[in-house]
Amino acid sequence: MSENLIFAVPSKGRLMDQTTEALGKKGLVLRKNGSDRGYRGEIEGMDGVEVAFVSASEIAHYLKSGRAHLGITGEDLIREHIVDADKRVELLRPLGFGRADVVVAVPACWIDIRTMAHLQAMASGFRRIHERRLRVATKYTNLTRRFFQSKGIGDYRIVESLGATEGTPASGTADLIVDITTTGSTLKANGLKVLEDGVILRSQANLVASRVADWSDTARAARHQIVARLKG
Amino acid sequence: MVAESARKFEALEAQAQRLMAVFTKAGYEAVAPAIIQPADVFLDVVGESLRARTYVFTDPDGNELCLRPDLTVPTCRLHLERHPEADVEARYCYNGPAFRYQPEGATAAHPREFRQAGIEFFGNESREEAEAEVVSLIIKAVRAAGLKSFGLRIGDLGLFQALLNAIDMPDRWRARLRNQFWRPEAFRQELVRLTRDPAEAIHDLPADLMARLDTADLAKSEKVVAAYLDEHKLELIGARSLREITQGLLSAAADATSKPLSSAAADLIDAYVKVKAPARAAGARLEDLMSERGIRIEEALEAYQRRLQLLIDSGIDPALIEFSAEFGRSLEYYTGFVFEIVVPELGTGSPIAGGGRYDGLLKAVGAPEPAPAVGSAIHTERLLSTLDGGDA
Repeated sequence: MSENLIFAVPSKGRLMDQTTEALGKKGLVLRKNGSDRGYRGEIEGMDGVEVAFVSASEIAHYLKSGRAHLGITGEDLIREHIVDADKRVELLRPLGFGRADVVVAVPACWIDIRTMAHLQAMASGFRRIHERRLRVATKYTNLTRRFFQSKGIGDYRIVESLGATEGTPASGTADLIVDITTTGSTLKANGLKVLEDGVILRSQANLVASRVADWSDTARAARHQIVARLKG
Repeated sequence: MVAESARKFEALEAQAQRLMAVFTKAGYEAVAPAIIQPADVFLDVVGESLRARTYVFTDPDGNELCLRPDLTVPTCRLHLERHPEADVEARYCYNGPAFRYQPEGATAAHPREFRQAGIEFFGNESREEAEAEVVSLIIKAVRAAGLKSFGLRIGDLGLFQALLNAIDMPDRWRARLRNQFWRPEAFRQELVRLTRDPAEAIHDLPADLMARLDTADLAKSEKVVAAYLDEHKLELIGARSLREITQGLLSAAADATSKPLSSAAADLIDAYVKVKAPARAAGARLEDLMSERGIRIEEALEAYQRRLQLLIDSGIDPALIEFSAEFGRSLEYYTGFVFEIVVPELGTGSPIAGGGRYDGLLKAVGAPEPAPAVGSAIHTERLLSTLDGGDA
């Protein structure tokens, strides 16, 4: 293993474009090694840094296990994929893009349910009437469990959903959802509304450091350089 | 990563044989429920907190399966396969592995794979007798394995239920307090809310709509709600019917006009929850507490005393038994009596055995009606480590 700092950045999609742009503005130009399809790269003119292009959720795993020293990814993914996040990583700096709220959304026709307390009061009656628990569709299983527990809701069951989560209440696969939203228009188009105290996390892309990675002097120095540039 | 499924494998096997010998001699049939269970039934029954710690996977046919996180639900399923109506009395015992994901990483103290030995007693209508039988048999078994000193913690959700029924309040408040009993902080908040401001429930609801509802006329209110949904272009989606939504609004409206819970009642509930004492003293304390306030829950108190006497008659030293009103179990399927066997070496956070009554579980896994059920499981690695005076 080299002494270099491993810097994990998103490998595709909008988050990659925004990361490249945000870093570029601060004079940190990402360059892929070899062909454009490569998964490794460097920051132009900066020694001691290896850039790893990986998917945004994979970045959380890289930081959690110490395979990467630094990374850029959404706070939602950090909190979802790292149970003891504050022990394993440090959020160094919000970057102002990739904004999304993780929210609890229910059918808008549930006019009797506006808050988590209403949901809690309704859940056990629902179980009695329908002889099953409320189903919550989400890809954020850990965030959902923690939030529901903090609100005293036990009568529910998670249905894992990896795409088109907002359509599950209408199709009948789930009763409500936990998902990300930016403007709320997708939720609205699917006949859903966000509960008043149902915002679990206001997320955005962050520069994140791993607390469990092996920090060599080279890696430490490179981290200071990158953080200093991003501050400037 | 722990690379062994069980250290001291032979010692565990020998111990399991001693435990099982006690169970089978008492007339409990040894069974081997499936290790791999259908995820759907299981997860609907156990709730999210245990689900978060259950290994779930999909097989090549696309079936959602799980590794059993305990043996109680698998034994219920086994019983139902034999007796679909769950209308016969049956005694089962088992010994085998269970699996739980450890979010902070698996260690010897918190293994992801451990062995449970236990018993389940279904269909017995004599409640306290069945409960005392299960407790005394488990104690007989751990004694046969060599355990000399231990404590028995007991709790009783039946007492709590009886207390709620004896206090004047709407049924839906009782249901709410009962549902929150497992979560002390939420329970406390609910109690404060009902005492201070039960009308809080409607503060966030559309006032114009609330004013048009008629709490005495469900059919009329349903029409009002249907018109409101139309007017606001809200399509009715999902499993909840117009009637359920209307009832939700009506119960909020009823809360708003209900007299708050009296502070005397809230104090009594609070005082009850705090009772924690040796079982005989606790019985006397409960009787005093109720008679001081003119609350009549004789039946539940008699059941408590009867059960306690049966336990003492079976040879358990009453000084070892401690009652705690607050003692609930993290598994929400218990419905009445609950107990744990604890040893000072491991503390109350790591009981050697635990169990209780769960009359709703057989119905939850498919029986037509709720059926009496009492059971208990021994954490065999913990038992062995206590006997060895070292780690398992």
